[in-house]
Amino acid sequence: MQTTTTLPAPSAPRARAFSFAWLGVVPFFLFAILFLILPSGILLIGSVQNARGEFTLENFGGLFQESIANSYILSLQLSVTTAVVGGIFGFLLAYAAILGGLPRSVRTTLLTFSGVASNFAGVPLAFAFIATLGRLGFVTVLLKDLLGFDLNQTGFSVFGFLSLTLTYIYFQFPLMVLIIAPALDGLKKEWREAAENLGASAWQYWRIVAFPVLLPSILGTMILLFSNAFGAVATAYALTGGNFPLATILIFRQIRGEVLGNPGLGYAVAVGMVIIMGGSLAIYYFLQRKTERWLKQ
Amino acid sequence: MSFLELNNVRKTFGQTDAVRAFNLQVERGEFVSFLGPSGCGKTTTLRMIAGFELPTSGAIVINGDDVTYKPPQKRNTGMVFQSYALFPNMTVGDNIGFGLKIAGEPKSAIQKRVDEMLAIIKMEKFGARYPYQLSGGQQQRVALARAIAIRPQVLLLDEPLSALDAKIRVSLRQEIRAIQQKLGITTIYVTHDQEEALSLSDRVVVMNDGRIEQVGTPFEIYNFPTTEFAAQFVGTLNTIQATVRDAARGALIVANQEITTSQKLDGLRNGDAHSIAIRPERVSFAADGKKPNVLNVRIENITFLGSIVRVQVSAGENIFYMDTFNNPFLSLPKIGDHAEVTFSKEAVLVLKNK
Repeated sequence: MQTTTTLPAPSAPRARAFSFAWLGVVPFFLFAILFLILPSGILLIGSVQNARGEFTLENFGGLFQESIANSYILSLQLSVTTAVVGGIFGFLLAYAAILGGLPRSVRTTLLTFSGVASNFAGVPLAFAFIATLGRLGFVTVLLKDLLGFDLNQTGFSVFGFLSLTLTYIYFQFPLMVLIIAPALDGLKKEWREAAENLGASAWQYWRIVAFPVLLPSILGTMILLFSNAFGAVATAYALTGGNFPLATILIFRQIRGEVLGNPGLGYAVAVGMVIIMGGSLAIYYFLQRKTERWLKQ
Repeated sequence: MSFLELNNVRKTFGQTDAVRAFNLQVERGEFVSFLGPSGCGKTTTLRMIAGFELPTSGAIVINGDDVTYKPPQKRNTGMVFQSYALFPNMTVGDNIGFGLKIAGEPKSAIQKRVDEMLAIIKMEKFGARYPYQLSGGQQQRVALARAIAIRPQVLLLDEPLSALDAKIRVSLRQEIRAIQQKLGITTIYVTHDQEEALSLSDRVVVMNDGRIEQVGTPFEIYNFPTTEFAAQFVGTLNTIQATVRDAARGALIVANQEITTSQKLDGLRNGDAHSIAIRPERVSFAADGKKPNVLNVRIENITFLGSIVRVQVSAGENIFYMDTFNNPFLSLPKIGDHAEVTFSKEAVLVLKNK
């Protein structure tokens, strides 16, 4: 007897079931749309409109006014200085704690402190600096009473560039520690041993292998520090009372209607900052990619 | 005097003895493998030869030069690591030329040597690539080229094939052996893979718990293990409980059946219980005719392993294996059947314990 086997008909492709995991990310997208994409769009549109709502590029021409150009230069100076100084200081600290052969507790303490300090910015940090190094600050008085050294006579002011730099470095170097620590951990012991086995001294290993491997991470993190400082406003505003003409303070005062009197120009200042920040992050992304590519097995 | 000597080398980490009284002489151009389980001290011994660990006591001599306390840079050894350890920021060519660059050799000489090395590892077209652009096997070949580019006195390989898949491992180990023989480099190879050690080495050092269990050629190690550990660790081994019947004649009783060994049972008395060992491939089904050792067994299980069929049998309380080559016309008894198996007197190993 002949038997036939009937194959089951191919089932129609089933529609992909809705995943409730999407609900979990809804708040993020909502937040991003409301507070990032929408404001950015408004900024961009506002920056190319005049008071009558007509299209214009005049606002961007206004960026070259002396006061605005100077505020950009000041912001760039402050950001670059604090990124480089904070970056080097943070790197040396992280190196000492992670590769310096110190007890494990030092590393844990440093990383915990860095986690807290990197977020300690704004009004509390400004107040802490005034309370420490202000005209009647704790350290100022202590130096005068104990050593007879009058900090105020040196021309140092908590409201100046140096003070602002010091204040920024307080939250910049911990950020460097936090970000560079995994990169230092990523240096393989075998690289050092292989270099030694091939005749290299410790200095040669660092110069030819370890430092070049770390360089993209160091530069990338410094760029993050730059962006961090470039976009900061609360610390500088609280410390100097808004009298230090950084680009962010200019925008802040523009929002409050204290300067410029031209919303379109204010938008253009902000777009200029967004472009600088975007460029920085693009370089950071490029450097990170380079490091990741190197380190993948 | 041997080319590489380890004289009474000992290493402790805190209270733990990692390597105990290690004595070994290696001749120039010899390929010696350290074989043992994890934690047996083989890598620590290798790292002491490289200079990454200092011995607690003892001496290491390379080509007549006592290097015991010399730093790694002054030993002229080439090391290949399990994780390749290629410098990720350098091209293949720069990695291979690294040691020569450090030694201050001229660029033209470095380039010539790099080209030679690339030819040896058959990667002539890969000089400008970065490690991340290579497969694991290719990276390890580059690591090998980098280690031998400096013309080391001793080549040290620390489980270089462990991270690779099985096929690559087999082909690369043949390549390593061919390169070693071509260049005549004295080589120490650390592995926990017995097949690797047996197939590559002139001599194998079986290690356990920080000490040497046995040193010998692969043939000696496999066929004439001197300790139970060496016998168990290298290859598959059946351990069978027996009772001494006649120590002078080498006769024992297994499951009420007599078997004989080719040696006297020195140090044992009649009636003593003692373990003997037999390799599965030395056991076969008994055909008609008189055989020196025949045991009546029950077939417990049959496992197909490709080229080999492994049959599990029992004789009284003893359960052991016999291996037979597979062929399409192989006729095997069924599970539960009774059969006779045989093995020669020489196949019976009477192990001593250290």
